[in-house]
Amino acid sequence: MKPAELGYAAPTSLDDAIGLLASRDAKILAGGQSLVPLLNLRLAAPELLVDLRSVPGLDGIRREGDDLVIGATVRQRRAERDATIREVAPLVAEALRHVGHPQIRSRGTIGGSIAHADPAAELPAVLVALDGSVRARGPGGEREIAAADFFQGFLMTALAEDEILVAITLPAAAPRTGAGCVEIAQRAGDYAACGAVAQVTLEGDRVADARVALIGAIDRPVRARTVEEALIGSAGTPQDIAAAAAHASDGLDPMPDPRVPAEYRLHLARVVARRAVEQATERAG
Amino acid sequence: MSSHTIRVTVNGTEHEATVPARLTLADFLREHLDLTATHLGCEHGVCGACTVLLDGETARACITLVAQVDGAEIVTLEGIAADGEELHPVQQAFWDRHGMQCGFCTPGFILSTIELLREHPDPTREQIDEALGGHLCRCTGYVKIVEAVDQAAERLRAGSGR
Amino acid sequence: MRRVFGAPLKRKEDPRLLRGGGQYVADIKLHRMVHAAVVRSPYPHAVIRGIDATECRADPRCVAVLTADDFDDLPELQCIDAEETTRPFLQPVLARGKVRYVGEPVAVVVAEDRYDAEDLMPLVRVDYEPLPAVVDPERALEPGAPIVHEGTNLVDTLHYATGDAAGALERAPHVLRERLQTQRHAGMPMETRGVIASWEDRTSAITLWSSTQVPNGVKRSLQAALGLPENGVRVIAPDLGGGFGVKLQIYPEEILICRLAQRIRRPTKWIEDRWEHFVAATHGREQFHDVEVGYEDDGRIVAIRDDCLTNTGAYLQSLTLVEPFIGVAMLTGPYRVDNFEATSRVAATNKTPMNPFRGVGHVQAAFTMERIVDLVAADLGLDPVEVRLRNMITSDQLPLDRVFGNVLAGTIVYDSGDYPECLRRAAELAGHAEFAAEQAKARAEGRYIGMGFGCFVEETGLGPYESGTVRIEPSGKVTVLTGACSSGQGHATTLAQIAADELGVGVDDVTVLHGDTELVRHGVGTYASRTAAVGGAAVRKAATKVRERAEFIAGQLLEVDPADLEVAEGGFAVAGSPAVSISHAEIAATVMPGSPLIDGVEEYGLEATDIFHPETNTFAYGVHVATVEVDIETGVVSHLRHVVVNDSGRVINPLILEGQVQGGVALGVGGALLEEILYDEDGQPRNPNFMDYVVPGIDNVSPEILVEHMEIPTPLNPDGIKGGGEGGAVGAPAAIANAVANAISPARITATPLFPARVHQAIVDAGLARMVAQEVT
Repeated sequence: MKPAELGYAAPTSLDDAIGLLASRDAKILAGGQSLVPLLNLRLAAPELLVDLRSVPGLDGIRREGDDLVIGATVRQRRAERDATIREVAPLVAEALRHVGHPQIRSRGTIGGSIAHADPAAELPAVLVALDGSVRARGPGGEREIAAADFFQGFLMTALAEDEILVAITLPAAAPRTGAGCVEIAQRAGDYAACGAVAQVTLEGDRVADARVALIGAIDRPVRARTVEEALIGSAGTPQDIAAAAAHASDGLDPMPDPRVPAEYRLHLARVVARRAVEQATERAG
Repeated sequence: MSSHTIRVTVNGTEHEATVPARLTLADFLREHLDLTATHLGCEHGVCGACTVLLDGETARACITLVAQVDGAEIVTLEGIAADGEELHPVQQAFWDRHGMQCGFCTPGFILSTIELLREHPDPTREQIDEALGGHLCRCTGYVKIVEAVDQAAERLRAGSGR
Repeated sequence: MRRVFGAPLKRKEDPRLLRGGGQYVADIKLHRMVHAAVVRSPYPHAVIRGIDATECRADPRCVAVLTADDFDDLPELQCIDAEETTRPFLQPVLARGKVRYVGEPVAVVVAEDRYDAEDLMPLVRVDYEPLPAVVDPERALEPGAPIVHEGTNLVDTLHYATGDAAGALERAPHVLRERLQTQRHAGMPMETRGVIASWEDRTSAITLWSSTQVPNGVKRSLQAALGLPENGVRVIAPDLGGGFGVKLQIYPEEILICRLAQRIRRPTKWIEDRWEHFVAATHGREQFHDVEVGYEDDGRIVAIRDDCLTNTGAYLQSLTLVEPFIGVAMLTGPYRVDNFEATSRVAATNKTPMNPFRGVGHVQAAFTMERIVDLVAADLGLDPVEVRLRNMITSDQLPLDRVFGNVLAGTIVYDSGDYPECLRRAAELAGHAEFAAEQAKARAEGRYIGMGFGCFVEETGLGPYESGTVRIEPSGKVTVLTGACSSGQGHATTLAQIAADELGVGVDDVTVLHGDTELVRHGVGTYASRTAAVGGAAVRKAATKVRERAEFIAGQLLEVDPADLEVAEGGFAVAGSPAVSISHAEIAATVMPGSPLIDGVEEYGLEATDIFHPETNTFAYGVHVATVEVDIETGVVSHLRHVVVNDSGRVINPLILEGQVQGGVALGVGGALLEEILYDEDGQPRNPNFMDYVVPGIDNVSPEILVEHMEIPTPLNPDGIKGGGEGGAVGAPAAIANAVANAISPARITATPLFPARVHQAIVDAGLARMVAQEVT
């Protein structure tokens, strides 16, 4: 299982990287934890790999007003431990603990996970849950793509072929916000049969905000808006949460899988939504 | 064929080589440097047999292209105790507690254990599972691996190792 | 003077491996070595209209290409245990005319490195005409099914009967009928297969390094396949990264790479990658049992009729019939069932061929029988331990001839043991008596825990023979040669312990050599839990011969009767007068060539070889008790605790045996809960990678696996050893499945693997989910 012949470039500017991406059959290489296995299996065989390692300005973690901006090449292990992320993006910190294993997170990047758009991945679900956005740069300049528009299908995103994901943006969490992530997988770090990320903000004794997105339920991360609407304004009791989570599977059409029948996946969606929201609610208090 | 000149430090020794762009770090270590303790069990980043320390952190050499790590410092199992040197307490513990059978997965386990104990000198079972969850062993059933980790932790805390 | 036998010594192998000095076949480099890649069929069933390698050969990177046309006489893999009735569906080393499973070798390309070789693979243009494929074994035996070979897909039918099952079933007050199913999965060592072949003109011999459990067997097969004499083939097994039975036969690639090396005149290396391993290394276990069980009101089982079907895949392999045979012949395990009838059919389909791996057949037998016992107990409202005790063969009934046998293993005669005591002890260690209360308390808290038993008896210590040579060197150190071949079991330590024990030397002074047919001229290899029992016996007997010879010489030199001597540290001393002694080195010096032999001694050297042919195989046994927790909402099973009471006879090294049992249990966790090799209806493998085929990780296996050794010796070899490499894998799935069934009773559990979806469905079907929902609201 060795990669096919390929070229490699490590440009030192974003413009150079964009130029290379546009010039031929090229793929961006960040951490490589998703891409290199595909290269080894020869399921991907680009002519050129454009490594972002030497492009400056892509590895920042900083606040921009009410938002947190995380650069594309920030390593997952660094993000996991970052004090700013823990403080203002608890859902990111929580979800990162579930991403693969430490050996993957030492190399994998925030941008890479988002751009790869595996429906069974945690970070895309977080971005969708928080109504974050993707900052992309291409030959025509920079644009912001809302998370709701970004994930378009199995491993498919709104990124144009000559665009590079340079950062993600998410709203900083309000006070009294808790985050939860629950995955049903047979082995920790394994592909989840289904999972959920949830963030709950309390005000007084009411749920002021609730964000829930499902991992691995369909071909892309999906927001469970009906669950959220049922939670907001409620007291967030176990009964409220259970009643709300019962809606998690509404309207979902799961991808076929020999080990995970559709009915079961839908059932899991309701279970993980409930458990993730319970976690988030407990931590918000 | 696209080739690149890279410079890496491996087990304290600097190397410069011109290699194909598609050469993995694992194959660079194994074929170019004859450091064969980095094993290939799957070549898709799951089994952990290829684990090395890359700039101080465990990483999978089979899904890293060597071109990506130009300038890096790499430590393999061969760098832990050179010939004639005393075994590292983690290595010693794997011996004492029968934490290995065929030895194929062992290099990865040892490096991840060293990293774990550096960060958590008195690890909980959860922390051990987290650090070693990315390593597959088909021989031992993991029980004696955990015993080895516990023994190594104790010895390191007692200061009877490095 | 028995000292080191039975000692839990640290392994001699470890320091080298710990420092990174392991030499697995992929680590070996030879001068001018080239690399091969195998072109494999992408179709499960197809006619090969033609193979055109012109483009490949024309590529400057191509060193060689091999196809079936390069053989005048295309070798085939042999099926050792074929009966007269077995259809000869033999596998050619390269596909000719037809391919029959995805992964079947079609051609081999060679380049300077593996990267280039993989680039060349698509340049071998194979013109396939796809045919309909069949993957389901029942479908394969129906009229109109695609035929994999010719005439029929029924490879063989085995039949065993004793007593009058039909009559007893009619008379029985209770009868249960059930299908118990075990899924296709595989041994999956962390090191894949691999070989290096090197032809040497000077000696007209080929040397093959192979990750194999059977170097002497591979040598014999290579001689036949390549038409070479004994001294024309040398096989070396370096360090192995696990075998588990997957590496117990010769494979096409071994023959192909040798052929290439002869032609190219350069050492040729092929290292299997993991995708290849999933499709081309043998699988196992796919078998179901349709059983009819007659039983009394008190739980005594009076009759079993078993209709068994094994899906053996596309071709016969070396030991194809073992799984179908053992699956039925060992079904009743430790129980006495006087009326038994089994039909075991073997079907060919377009899946990868099956061959034995760790526990072969016994795993399915134990799972089936142990589920039966629990179903009987549940039906009658009886304690499952009590029902087992009522059915168990007692120790005074042993040895017990079970009446059945097969071509290879001979008749099954349970030789020694105490099954009821083993069960009682396991139940005690597991806290069975207190468990009901613990379970009730957990249920009240909404937690579903269960305890399950898995009792087994296992054919071990298989013949036909194993060789052992013991040599006392002039230095006084000891060299041992064995036909066994280690894949992680610690033979360099355990066999050294036997020799050291016999000769009174330190284990550090004994070196065990294996895995080289130049050193070990006769050998069988390591599988079927045979090395300690059969290989150990050969070493013991050879060491005994050497000791007796050395003792005689010592007597001559000390001028005492050898009977007055006893083994002392590194030599002999007069019993009662330890000062009157002589070392092995001094003895060895007297039989060195160059000096005349002393009186009474007729030969030079202090060496003896024994080739031990066991009369018949032994039977290890054990009882597993698993405790699990089932997440009632998701069906995810957690393995909480595990206890094994295991009788492998006398134990050479309890630490090493404990490791074997624990490792086997982990394999069993995989089989019970996680692993299945899946094919779609069209014969395409669905999960040939570690992301979708889930091997147990550290969080899947119980943190405690308590192993207690029951050491009832067998009379079949000098040390009374029964063999322990597989028992952990045999009993664990039964115990875990029973524990799951116990946790979510009355949910129905009849098949592994117990994927969460499957457990969840069982919970729903039993109405337990509704009950749970009621509890919550």
